[in-house]
Amino acid sequence: MKSVSELTDFYYKNLFPTLQKLEDDRRRLKQKIIFIAVIYTIISAILASFFINNLDIIIFIYIALGVIIYKFLVHDYTHEFKMSIIKPLIHAIDKTLLYSSKTHISEYIFNRSNLFSEPDRMSGNDYVKGNVEDINIQFSDIHAEKRNRNSKGKDSWSTIFKGLFIVAEFNKHFAGETVVLPDSAQSTFGDLIGNWLQSNNMARDELVKMDNPEFEKEFVVYSTNQIEARYILSHSLMKKLLVFKHKSKHPLHVSFIGSNIHMAVEYNKDLFEPAIFSSLLDYKVAMEYVKTLHLAISIVQELKLNQKLWSKR
Amino acid sequence: MSTSLIVLILIVIVLVLMYNSLVAKKNQVENIFASVDTVLKKRYDLIPNLVASVSKYMEHEKSLLQEVTKLRAEANKPNISDEHKIALDAKVSSALGSIMIAVENYPELKANENVMHLQHTLHEIEEQISAARRAYNQSVTDYNNAIEMVPTNFMASAMNYKRKQVFEIVESERKNVDVKELFN
Repeated sequence: MKSVSELTDFYYKNLFPTLQKLEDDRRRLKQKIIFIAVIYTIISAILASFFINNLDIIIFIYIALGVIIYKFLVHDYTHEFKMSIIKPLIHAIDKTLLYSSKTHISEYIFNRSNLFSEPDRMSGNDYVKGNVEDINIQFSDIHAEKRNRNSKGKDSWSTIFKGLFIVAEFNKHFAGETVVLPDSAQSTFGDLIGNWLQSNNMARDELVKMDNPEFEKEFVVYSTNQIEARYILSHSLMKKLLVFKHKSKHPLHVSFIGSNIHMAVEYNKDLFEPAIFSSLLDYKVAMEYVKTLHLAISIVQELKLNQKLWSKR
Repeated sequence: MSTSLIVLILIVIVLVLMYNSLVAKKNQVENIFASVDTVLKKRYDLIPNLVASVSKYMEHEKSLLQEVTKLRAEANKPNISDEHKIALDAKVSSALGSIMIAVENYPELKANENVMHLQHTLHEIEEQISAARRAYNQSVTDYNNAIEMVPTNFMASAMNYKRKQVFEIVESERKNVDVKELFN
């Protein structure tokens, strides 16, 4: 598999003509957006002066309509960017990978992972599926939300998870369910109270204390089977997960269910979207696309999923 | 209700909680030890096959094979103590490790499908044993902490609970760590 620096080279060398064309489009689009936004704001302000009593409704309509107009304006550009930049980048990592800019990981898989509570609404895009070194892998951007209803019956939506969701075959046989979550209780309330809170988490299975202090500090493990959890989370896998976590620099949730590993990397933003207000030729922008893609696909190598245990041959 | 009665009820609740947590910890140790036993038994069951498959090749390592057979017979005796089981496990791990290293010196044996299959199965069982040992060690640590720390230590000594022994890694496994890393 290509390294991050090789992919960055590919981004600049092979995609440069396309990038330049897209960069011109981006500049034009940026000017168009600013122009339309100014006109739209002026018209809205004039209209608002007539309906000054319903200011909160006017602001709501202004924002909602503004988002729709923005999405409409960037739609074609986004599509072209994904097809001519993201898709070739994915294929540069592995030719056999399939890419769809519009679909996402199914809600069934998201719920099966047991990492989060069941969402009432789920969206996402940039779905990648394929076989890396004989291991089935799929990932996409996901935004899962929960509906909250207040006393007046008004709905509001809160985010359960937003980020990168990866599923791959795991290299060992297991029957139970093991979930690895960021250790927020211990880091917030300290060892004693945090540990007590964790061991009394009614929503989860049994707490499993792991024999790697660094891993214990970063994560909390729940499992249906104390021994199986340790069979899956060997010393080397714990180290690899820590390395992966430090590399991604974002909260990491992992579960081992139904002979699969599920990983949710919390980014709290829509990934792989084209930059509109900063240059596509900017090194930082390029690195973000490359790094995120590389991170997702590299889990097969990073976690050595391709080295199946004897029993799985 | 008088203050002394409330205090008395509180003391009783605390005592019951302490008693229950100690019993739960002891039972957890026993429960996980039973699982360790199951995987150890799996390994003992493999030994006769292993010995039968390799004995005709490994003339120079006869004593090693005899040693592992003897250890197996000892482990299969009824009513052996947990401490003894732990000690036997360490010896078997060490003997099996030596056999596996010896196998490398016999090219015919190394390529033999039956031996390869046995090697794979043994490796898988070693992984399971290692996981079971780690689970056992954690439950023993929790238990030992409870019987030594204040205030549960008073209750534990009244219940005549004693420290339990943990599994220790055999020297040969420490040496083999590089090979194991490959498959983890």
